[in-house]
Amino acid sequence: MAAADSPSTALRRRDLCSRGIRLAGKMRADVIDLLDAYVERQGLDASASVAAVEGVPLAAVERWDEQTGTQRLLENLAAYRAFRTLLAQMLEEQREQLGEADAGLGRALAAVLLQVSAFTYHLEELLRLESRGIPGEEEDGPPPPPRLSIFEQKLRGLGVLRELAQWAVRSTRDLRQLAKPSSATGTAPGLTESP
Amino acid sequence: GSLGTPQNLKCVTHNLHKMICTWDVSSRGRYGQTDFCYTANDLTSQVCFKTKERRVEIPVPESSSTVTIKSSGTAFATKEFVIHQKDISFVPVTPHILSLTPDFSTSTLNLKWSDNGSIFPYGLDALWQIQILRKETMEEVTQVTYHSKLTHEDLILSWNWSSDMPLECTSHYVKIRCYINATQFVGPKDWSDWSPAEVVPGKDTEPGGSGVFPLDTVVAVGSDVTFCCVHEEDQHITNMTYGSKPYKMIQLSSRSHAIRVLNASASDTSGTNVVCHLKNGMDGTVVFVGYAPDTPQNLSCETSNFLIIKCTWKPGRPSGLYGDRRTKYSLFERMSGKNVSCEVNEMNRDRACGFPVLPDQKTYDFILGVSNPIGQAQSSLLVDITQRVHPKAPEKLTVIGNNSTSIQMRWFMNGSFAGIRLLCQIEVSSGHSERKLHNVSMPGGKSSTYTAQMNALRPYTKYQFRVRCSAADHFWRWSDWSRGVEQATA
Repeated sequence: MAAADSPSTALRRRDLCSRGIRLAGKMRADVIDLLDAYVERQGLDASASVAAVEGVPLAAVERWDEQTGTQRLLENLAAYRAFRTLLAQMLEEQREQLGEADAGLGRALAAVLLQVSAFTYHLEELLRLESRGIPGEEEDGPPPPPRLSIFEQKLRGLGVLRELAQWAVRSTRDLRQLAKPSSATGTAPGLTESP
Repeated sequence: GSLGTPQNLKCVTHNLHKMICTWDVSSRGRYGQTDFCYTANDLTSQVCFKTKERRVEIPVPESSSTVTIKSSGTAFATKEFVIHQKDISFVPVTPHILSLTPDFSTSTLNLKWSDNGSIFPYGLDALWQIQILRKETMEEVTQVTYHSKLTHEDLILSWNWSSDMPLECTSHYVKIRCYINATQFVGPKDWSDWSPAEVVPGKDTEPGGSGVFPLDTVVAVGSDVTFCCVHEEDQHITNMTYGSKPYKMIQLSSRSHAIRVLNASASDTSGTNVVCHLKNGMDGTVVFVGYAPDTPQNLSCETSNFLIIKCTWKPGRPSGLYGDRRTKYSLFERMSGKNVSCEVNEMNRDRACGFPVLPDQKTYDFILGVSNPIGQAQSSLLVDITQRVHPKAPEKLTVIGNNSTSIQMRWFMNGSFAGIRLLCQIEVSSGHSERKLHNVSMPGGKSSTYTAQMNALRPYTKYQFRVRCSAADHFWRWSDWSRGVEQATA
């Protein structure tokens, strides 16, 4: 059974959640702008369908309603850590391919990476609040992705940004769910013990 | 002739030494033993032997040879032939391809074969016809004639061919035949047979092979480029686009289609996408279309401190290539053999590169090398750096003394000017009066301070001073002005 929140913890959580929701909203707006610029600068077709990209966490989830608060936080954390790595890889490839030629796109990419890092830290704060151990990042991080061709890099970038935009929506919903007072909803999937 | 008489004797030589003679008999008789005799004009005695074949190998005569064939089929029939050299055809041995090596990065085939020169006299001219074929249907792409001279040794000849299409696109086949211009041989001469075809298999023959080629390549503006899409057996291609424009497809095989882009225009910074749209999914590559580097213009080198020589130049037309493919610069100094690669920001117009001043070296013979994946260029400059001194602005201009009609001042110059004399100009102004310039020269020092005294000043008058310097001998450029100082006479 979940121990009832102390008033200060509940207050702190709602504050973190609402700030997280604002951060996710801003991040999503920036990702959408970046996506438009990325498609245009990379000469891609906005309607191009991109197969699932290896290493990119999918925002879609089955039985979203049944997830516990801890599961939500842990899945969000894992996803944004992955996006942090993927965006850093994209930035590196961008410098490699374009040098200073497209500094604007590089800056926009770096800005989103910064927001993803900030959001990751935010999620860790929430987990700390619940005195829930924060899963360590894999020692040397995920294995380096296979060397992709330039076109494959472009498509992967498209896939990453699209999925990140979806995750920003999901995170907003997850945080709203977490902000609900757990006692009020009884079985509401707040931060209860994971099954 | 009577039944079973030998007829239609034909002789062919492949090496000008031996010839292969064949014949047939006038009717279908039982196939028996044959007595074959020949005499060459330089042989006194006749050489005879028995054979079951209607084919013998005998020496090529200098001028003629008498042959007697006695076949013992249904009846004994003998026929004598006189073979003149002019009746013997010379057909070289079919060439043997030693290797056919693809270089996929440059879409080049390298062919190596032996010229079999050892069996021929020295100095004969040889012609080699090389045929390139392509696609499943082995369509001829080109036929080239290559000339060589035989040297009475077996030489390995090598020849390169650059395909207009990536070698991955479809299988390429090569065949070769030869013709030897044996001027001394009076008989009819002909091309050898074609060699068996050597093949470089395309990706479209690999189980599961797929991709769009060439992969991530760089080409010059105006090039004609062929791109191809190789897809897996169960896939179906719908169209291919270059940039955002669909192109008419050329089928190379059941799993490979190509498009031909003519006179390619410069691509955006991120390259031009070549996309192959498949029934379910897509594949693609990126091509970077740019320019070879221009020859650097107005190459100029100077030093501000005798520690570093700074060379600048105008790059000319931008290459349109960035990142890994950008134009790279290096500065090579011929006398010292030292080479420096330059860090250049491709986005700003000015280009500069630093080269260390070398001990005891005044004259520098620079070659500025410029290269990118499309081409290279260079400019050179011979310069005596003592004649190219452009100091930094003097620093810490300070008044160190004054009386009613003179003021002493001191300043600092960063740099090792010990080897030259400095010329400094002090600008004096006061109130609304006209600015005056005073030149003073002094031996240069190593990161030193310098002093000067302004005389004939008016008492109780506030003056503003600033200073700039240059090389006294071989003036090149003034430094910028130092910051000003203000001082009144007592």
